[in-house]
Amino acid sequence: MIAYLQNIAVLFCINAILALTLNFIMGYAGIFSLAHAIFFGVGAYATAYIAMHASDSLLLCMAASAAISAILSMALALPALRVRGEYFVAASLGLQVIGVTIFSEWKSITGGLGGMIGIPRPKLWGYTFNDDTAFLMLALVVLGIVVGITALLVRGSFGRSLMAIRDSESAAQTYGKHVNAVKTLSVAVAAGLAGVAGSLYAFYISFINVESFVLETSILLMAMVIIGGTGTLFGPIVGAALLMSLPAALTYLPFLPPTELGSIQQIIYGLAMVLLMMFRPGGLVGGRSKEKSA
Amino acid sequence: MTTSTSPQEILLEIKNVNKNFGGLQAIDDVTLDLPAGVITTLVGPNGAGKTTLFNLITGHLIPSSGTIHWLGKPLKGFQPWQVARLGIARTFQDLRLYSQMTVEENVMTVTERSSWLWQGGRQAAEQRVTEILTETQLLDKRHERAVDLAYAERKFLSLARIMASEAKLWLLDEPASGLDPRSFDRFVTLLRDYAKRGITICIIEHNLDIVIKLSDRVAFLDQGKLLAQGSSEDILKDPHLAAIYFGERA
Repeated sequence: MIAYLQNIAVLFCINAILALTLNFIMGYAGIFSLAHAIFFGVGAYATAYIAMHASDSLLLCMAASAAISAILSMALALPALRVRGEYFVAASLGLQVIGVTIFSEWKSITGGLGGMIGIPRPKLWGYTFNDDTAFLMLALVVLGIVVGITALLVRGSFGRSLMAIRDSESAAQTYGKHVNAVKTLSVAVAAGLAGVAGSLYAFYISFINVESFVLETSILLMAMVIIGGTGTLFGPIVGAALLMSLPAALTYLPFLPPTELGSIQQIIYGLAMVLLMMFRPGGLVGGRSKEKSA
Repeated sequence: MTTSTSPQEILLEIKNVNKNFGGLQAIDDVTLDLPAGVITTLVGPNGAGKTTLFNLITGHLIPSSGTIHWLGKPLKGFQPWQVARLGIARTFQDLRLYSQMTVEENVMTVTERSSWLWQGGRQAAEQRVTEILTETQLLDKRHERAVDLAYAERKFLSLARIMASEAKLWLLDEPASGLDPRSFDRFVTLLRDYAKRGITICIIEHNLDIVIKLSDRVAFLDQGKLLAQGSSEDILKDPHLAAIYFGERA
């Protein structure tokens, strides 16, 4: 039972990091990306490759994952950020499709559809995180660091620039904001931290394949952000906690047939989204109303 | 064309500027100077090209031909954020406030030219924001979101942002439209005060009250052409221009 709860808690930490970082660009910068799972995947594959071929050092793998995800995101974001709103959503969807194809086809690096098996647990200053409790502590510390970085960024001048761009790009430009630079940097930060989540995931699961980084993952992360509250610091964490605990909670309801749990879960997600958009568009942590008519 | 000369330094120099949108000539060979410390009002009927001229100055649009010089240097190829950093700021007819940000954040972010985490002069910036919010009587609303403000308060917030920009030239697009008489008087007083402090102001305005009360100089545009420029008395007394303005063309 404890092992089961520990497992959920570690996966919650990883998903909370992903939701936080997606919210960083979605809630604060107004960039709706459907490709967040790709940067999660890049981080996971980078860590898996390095850990299996070079070093299982936690810091090295995490730093490399963050850097590779961030650099890749910049290369991809620069052309994509030239388009706005729904066009960017479409562009990010294209990126998600391309990413999944690369993950499943670049066999020499990603192992193809079969994925990568036998990723070792990480080492930090000689200590190996073989114990699940220790790994949970590690995941909580990383989550705490990501919350700290996000809070520092969104509550300072960078966060205000992001929100200004989100609310009116033309006004932000008019008052001296280099919109493309700020947006590109925000995507790089979010992708880099998503890469860190990918690194944790690869180390924890010890087996990765493309299934974990598909469009459904990006949509689930978006649901976590929206349900928790876009543009709020703790909303995505609440959203992640809810959506991660829901499947577990459903298994404790004896009257539900186990074979239908997946479908019931999807219906509950959908209903929760619809009801929230109707009655609390700011999300559970956000305000009651997101926008008042001008 | 009526003209008046000024001995002041020319901040902005618009020379033979044209702007075409396909077959539509939105700006037609406009030449106009904005001398330092002078309040210039652009008047003209709807579609005269006034806002297009602002967009050309701020880099939101690129002239089809002609040049725009700021303090003697051409603005060609400058992005809006670069133009802003040179000292030209503007407001918008539809305000474009940062609607989900608080009043204080709306003003604070304008004082922050870069987006780096560590900003120099943080205390001075906070003090300046408080001063501006006091001047615009928004201090007690500082923690409210822009979207939750009343219309007049939004207008003053738009003005507060440009006050925080430390720009030398303010381009104001219909800043006083829709204001009640008391707010209007407060608005005019604030603009006069800033003009006295050395800010150069160019206003697009349909309200003839503000044209008379504020303007040192009026430029009249119609169908993209600059038809006349001079004192507000001269321009407003011209029966030909009045006929165009009120839509009574021959």
